[in-house]
Amino acid sequence: MQAQAKALLQQIKPTRAPRYDEDHGTSLWADAWLKLSRNRLALLGLLTITFMTVVAILTPWLAPYSYDAQDLNLGALPPSGAHWLGTDTLGRDLLTRIMYGGRVSLMVGFLATAVSLIIGVLWGTIAGYFGGRIDALMMRTVDVLYALPFMIFVILLMVVFGRNLVLLFLAIGAVEWLTMARIVRGQVTGLMKMEFIEAAISMGIPRSRIILRHLIPNVLGPVIVYTTLTIPQVMLLEAFLSFLGLGVQPPMSSWGLLMSTGVESMEEFPWLMIFPGLVLALTLFSLNFLGDGLRDALDPKSAKE
Amino acid sequence: MKPENLLELQDVRTHFPLTKGTLFPRLTGHVKAVDGVTLDLKRGEVLGLVGESGCGKSTLGRTIIKLIRATSGQISLSHEAQGGVQMIFQDPYSSLNPRMTVFDTLAEPMLVNGFATRATVAVKVAELMHTVGLAPRFMRKYPHEFSGGQRQRIAIARALALKPRILIADEPVSALDVSIQAQILNLLASLRKRLGLSIIFISHDLSVIRHLSDRVAVMYLGKIVELGSTAEIFAKPQHPYTRALLSAIPLPDPDLERNRERVILAGDAPSPINPPSGCAFHPRCAYATFQCSQRQPVLARQGTSETRVACINL
Ligand SMILES: Nc1ncnc2c1ncn2[C@@H]1O[C@H](COP(=O)(O)OP(=O)(O)OP(=O)(O)O)[C@@H](O)[C@H]1O
Ligand SMILES: [Mg+2]
Repeated sequence: MQAQAKALLQQIKPTRAPRYDEDHGTSLWADAWLKLSRNRLALLGLLTITFMTVVAILTPWLAPYSYDAQDLNLGALPPSGAHWLGTDTLGRDLLTRIMYGGRVSLMVGFLATAVSLIIGVLWGTIAGYFGGRIDALMMRTVDVLYALPFMIFVILLMVVFGRNLVLLFLAIGAVEWLTMARIVRGQVTGLMKMEFIEAAISMGIPRSRIILRHLIPNVLGPVIVYTTLTIPQVMLLEAFLSFLGLGVQPPMSSWGLLMSTGVESMEEFPWLMIFPGLVLALTLFSLNFLGDGLRDALDPKSAKE
Repeated sequence: MKPENLLELQDVRTHFPLTKGTLFPRLTGHVKAVDGVTLDLKRGEVLGLVGESGCGKSTLGRTIIKLIRATSGQISLSHEAQGGVQMIFQDPYSSLNPRMTVFDTLAEPMLVNGFATRATVAVKVAELMHTVGLAPRFMRKYPHEFSGGQRQRIAIARALALKPRILIADEPVSALDVSIQAQILNLLASLRKRLGLSIIFISHDLSVIRHLSDRVAVMYLGKIVELGSTAEIFAKPQHPYTRALLSAIPLPDPDLERNRERVILAGDAPSPINPPSGCAFHPRCAYATFQCSQRQPVLARQGTSETRVACINL
């Protein structure tokens, strides 16, 4: 029997024996990637986001000027050879400010989304997995938090702890996870009725493994899609908070803050609003295209033959 | 426990509580899905379990593999069957994790339960695939790349991974194309011989049951109403419900088919929430008497026959 099986194994093409917890980047995900790479808009979105992230990381080395170097003599110049996107009312280079602002905006976007992702996925998975009273209790909690006025919560946080970027991530993440939890909980509740979960339970697969290997990979599709929709939402929230003076503090800036200060002098110096607005819009569109593309690529119906 | 038995059920009940409200649930009743089943499974046999939709067949299977805890009663496994009972589920589209390759699906239970090590698992997975007639070179593929019949083979291989002595096959072919059904049934029949398995085969297709089973248990509303050898039950069904079920199978000879006695089942099966008093079948039974609504029949031998029937009018 052993020898026969060894002979059978020879039929398996790969030269190395498959390892148990090897990352499987094949098939379903390969399919998804193939579909994504055929979607021009989504690919363009992905490229744009990647480009912005790289620029944001390298900004301290790439930026043509210092973000707080003022020269009042240069106050609010339109775009020129020396200052491609012009300067602001304090004579600071706008391109530099946008690059530095991108660091804040992207970081808030990604980190707050990550916070909401982790809390939301865990919360939703646990509620859906256990069901019954635990589920009811956890989801009612979500409903209550939904109903709380978010702004009061943030203002309270800022008053108690002072303005602080980390707090900003936490505050925004703490709001955004609610929707994520609802989405994941719905998915998991549906999955729990599937027979493969019953099969896993009846074969003695431990609970943690069922959650990590059987449930979470199957909710990943909708989660990824919702994540790409959350990032722009979070950036807009940050812009809103900064506009109210609750976000980042000058001389640091963010896209949202640049735009909202630009609005004040829109008639005299329109470029101060237009360029940050364009960058923000570009990011939002890119993420939306990428999200739509991912949703289509990961659609299980289109994954079936 | 009788020496020829691998599995014995003694008055097993599985009731689902019915509740209103989620946060502070109130109990409003019970679904008596399995309501007093006494049954045995002999070494090496295929026991067919038939009954209408909703009569509790799947719930009984899930109770035996301990996916659901029995409300009351005894489920005992003989010493040699301690390796466990595994189930083959009805729908091979929902019983396989779409994000796991065949290899992962089969390797996981063996590794988790210490039936294989990382070093030996690939060989064991290949063996399992070979056992169910799948080429091991497909082990890196995902379920969606297989046909329904191949998926059911994967599900069977998984059920065999922990070397159970007993399999519960819950309508394993009803979701498959008719052309594929015979292949899967033949595979189960041959596995039973090769591996010496005992199988509880759940189906509402009587011709399949007849083809595959050594004994048949007929279930009605959570209870077994007739239990006997396949030959005897098909030749001489005794319980009115069994007779009604059997008369629904078309006969191959048109003359016979035209002249045979037909027992029509009136209406739908009653609800397992409020089962009728006495014999649960009495509201639909052509032979019911007043006594039938008063006394609960017990499963017992009638005259010289080996078959046991739960009916007070025999
Ligand atoms: N988890 C559950 N909670 C509440 N009721 C349930 C549950 N599972 C099954 N039931 C009920 O128990 C009864 C028996 O269901 P079961 O699935 O065992 O029937 P079945 O004989 O397998 O039917 P089918 O032939 O349609 O598969 C049904 O009335 C069903 O609605
Ligand atoms: Mg069923």
